[in-house]
Amino acid sequence: MENSPEFQQLITQEREKAMVNEMIAKLTTVCWDKCITGTPGSKFSSSESSCLTNCAQRYMDMSLIIMKRFQNMQ
Amino acid sequence: MDSFSSPSVGSSPKFSTEDLMGQLKVQLAQAYAEEFLETVRGKCFEKCITKPGSSLSGSESSCISRCVDRYIEANGIIGRALFNAQR
Repeated sequence: MENSPEFQQLITQEREKAMVNEMIAKLTTVCWDKCITGTPGSKFSSSESSCLTNCAQRYMDMSLIIMKRFQNMQ
Repeated sequence: MDSFSSPSVGSSPKFSTEDLMGQLKVQLAQAYAEEFLETVRGKCFEKCITKPGSSLSGSESSCISRCVDRYIEANGIIGRALFNAQR
């Protein structure tokens, strides 16, 4: 049953979920360093939380540009 | 990851797909949690313990508590930012 298509599909789904979690975790480390410059407070300021949101989205924009540029070089 | 072994085909007791998937998910969740915790330790040490003394001060301890809460909150903000961007 490890070879069944159903099992393979479940494995693929878990792999995708793991990749998504990894991306989120990695982006959190990067954006934390960029956006949380002082000592952590008891809540985020609005500039800190918008920085975090912007950081994640700009990173994804950048990824797209890099991919396209790289593809143009092939 | 070598924290779980794959049964060799044909010679192992028959686990159901559900059993295997259940085990896999538990292993993945544990590995992810450990990695996440390691990151939190690194970041909060950096932010809160600037000059290690002979014991943790009260302000260092409360900084660490806030740091853990904020880091987890940041993880949630990032996760939502990524999935609101994909329409």
